[in-house]
Amino acid sequence: MTDHQGNLVTCPEDEGQAPQSEGRRGFLKLAALTGAAASLSTRRALANGDIGYHAMDLPDDKLVDMYRTILRIRWHERTQADQMLANPDYRGYNHFYAGQEAVATGVCAALRNDGPFEQIDLVYSSHRPSGHAIAKGVDIPTMVAEMDFRATGMNGGYAAEMHISDPSVGFIGADGMIGPAPVIASGSAFAFRARGSDQVAVVFAGDGNYAAPHFHSTLNNAKLLDLPLIYVCENNLYHQYAHYSYSCPHKDIADAAAAYGIPSRTVDGQDVTQVYNVAKEAVDRARAGGGPSFIEAKTYRYYNHWGAPGAKEGELGAFGYDPLAITSFRPEREVRAWMQRDPVDIARNILVDWGILEEQKALDIEAEVKAEIAAAFEWALSQPLCTPEDGLKHVFAEGTVPARQFG
Amino acid sequence: MTEKSWMYSVLEAVQHEMREDPALTWIFELTPPVASNPNMPVINLETEFGRKRVVNTGIDENWMASAVLGAGLAGSRAATYIPYQGALMPLEVIQNVAGKLRHMTGGKAAMPVVWVIEMTGQTPGFAGQHSCYEEDSFYMHIPGVRTVIPSTPYDAKGMMHAALRSPDPVVYLYPAGLRTLTEEVPDEPYEVPLDKAAVRIEGSDLTIVSSGGGMPGVLEAAEVLKGEGMGVEVIDLRVLKEMDTETLVTSVAKTKRLLTVDQSYYTLAPGAEVVARCAENVEGARFKRVAFPDAPPPASPEMFLWMRPNAEGIAGAARALVG
Repeated sequence: MTDHQGNLVTCPEDEGQAPQSEGRRGFLKLAALTGAAASLSTRRALANGDIGYHAMDLPDDKLVDMYRTILRIRWHERTQADQMLANPDYRGYNHFYAGQEAVATGVCAALRNDGPFEQIDLVYSSHRPSGHAIAKGVDIPTMVAEMDFRATGMNGGYAAEMHISDPSVGFIGADGMIGPAPVIASGSAFAFRARGSDQVAVVFAGDGNYAAPHFHSTLNNAKLLDLPLIYVCENNLYHQYAHYSYSCPHKDIADAAAAYGIPSRTVDGQDVTQVYNVAKEAVDRARAGGGPSFIEAKTYRYYNHWGAPGAKEGELGAFGYDPLAITSFRPEREVRAWMQRDPVDIARNILVDWGILEEQKALDIEAEVKAEIAAAFEWALSQPLCTPEDGLKHVFAEGTVPARQFG
Repeated sequence: MTEKSWMYSVLEAVQHEMREDPALTWIFELTPPVASNPNMPVINLETEFGRKRVVNTGIDENWMASAVLGAGLAGSRAATYIPYQGALMPLEVIQNVAGKLRHMTGGKAAMPVVWVIEMTGQTPGFAGQHSCYEEDSFYMHIPGVRTVIPSTPYDAKGMMHAALRSPDPVVYLYPAGLRTLTEEVPDEPYEVPLDKAAVRIEGSDLTIVSSGGGMPGVLEAAEVLKGEGMGVEVIDLRVLKEMDTETLVTSVAKTKRLLTVDQSYYTLAPGAEVVARCAENVEGARFKRVAFPDAPPPASPEMFLWMRPNAEGIAGAARALVG
């Protein structure tokens, strides 16, 4: 963690973490030997005070999938950043999510992502949506095509980065604005409760959302109505270029949720297993009719607010000048300090340490993912551009609206 | 007199008024009130006047818009800069409180406040809320609030002085696509009135009326049409409320042909009001309207740039009306 001045500090949640050196395999063996030992070991495996260490129960393939998802997000971001930096014909852009991968991955791993629309959990995203979309399971090639305004993109070229959506996997979509998404997500949760569904609604929103009246309206109504809503506050310390201390008096934004009577957690957003633990707890509560939860994930983005200013082709992160920042800049040392706790490295080290993957196999998977993403970009950038007249479609369910631009 | 950018011209006016009136405040989010210009000192309101008077808030346009109203009611002049991402969040307090308050209080409420409402630059590729142009229609509908939309750096500075000095609340619309404009702007303070349209080009065959972000395309089309021998009169509305009916009617009474151009959606775009006022007051005139279709702006540049009114489409509509 870093404080407002960018110095590394230790958050209370970092203390008393799961004894990862214990080895998950060893723990499971011990648990199998005796029921008495199991309860003792369960207590020893607690991750964060009274949160169960749910990640210990995940099958190997699920854990590898989570690692793969983190890598897919990472290499999507890096490949797109390189396109922005090096390909003069590339027109797409992103509010890059690199650095925050473990948050989307850990949360979505706890959700129901496959099945009929009436049964899967719904995710609402922010203006920084690519990580959430990939973690929820959207088709990456068509998402890449959408971000470059292709007619065959996920939303036909109408949406682009800040409005991508694919309801078929429960990704209701990005939100280019700050404020509306959490309130709307609470409406989906309201519908689930009204129709007796055990679905949950999740909203990802940044630290900047705290100041908006929508934040407070969402939490108040979610608690009043006991809605199955999980509010995931990704506190990456900056809204656009301003530190969150400009808009929030709390060090932990989760303190605000607690004031609404909502169970709230702060979690290390760089460790996917820790994020999964708190997400599992929240999902279980919501499905059981226990109402909303609030998760504040302490995290950090490696790029600037928008696009790739200050970044170099082939290198992760942005350290240089960002003309959009006008007067406020993140200290380079703060960026580099956070990159020491990289979600990709942490996930890989856990899998290797737990004996699930050999180091080389983990690196092979990364090479596979990198190639998969490169192929997605190659396909997407060969797709057809949109037809101008199609801009008059999709205003209503049927028909087109008249052209008015020619008098 | 110096060649100045849009934002430098505006902040020069704000800086002058803040130096004159130590109670005047400026509230912003995300967009620091900073501008630089060749051969001129950097303007930074935050460092010059301090964070008590110049406040960087969280993302809460409802508070920003309401806070300046409250400051005004307490006897302080106040202004806020709402970025385009929140351009209609202030609507509720402006239409439901500020616009009605002078009237409801029998003239007692004091509201010397300015809401600078940034509109998008209509950038292709951003889609939806990041490319739309529609705030003019919403804010011009409200009684009791002066809604202005300068289209040149000169007017932007002069109207900012007038807005900050006005006893009435002012919605000061800023189409961000105009940020690249520069022109000779006086260093001294001056006012451009908050109730007068400007005749940019005189002619007798056709009146073209537009405003804000529509003006660059209209002026470009007018040059082409003049080259073809058409006598085009171009009017820049500048003020949406109270609209300068006299200038409009005088022109259309002369040309008998009116073409309105809006970047706003066709339905209830400012041009609709212009046509209605001229139709009421001029016998035998013909009308045509160019506007953005009644559709949200799509991301794809191929779709968006075809839908956005441009000089070619404006010139074509003018020829159809005159020919």
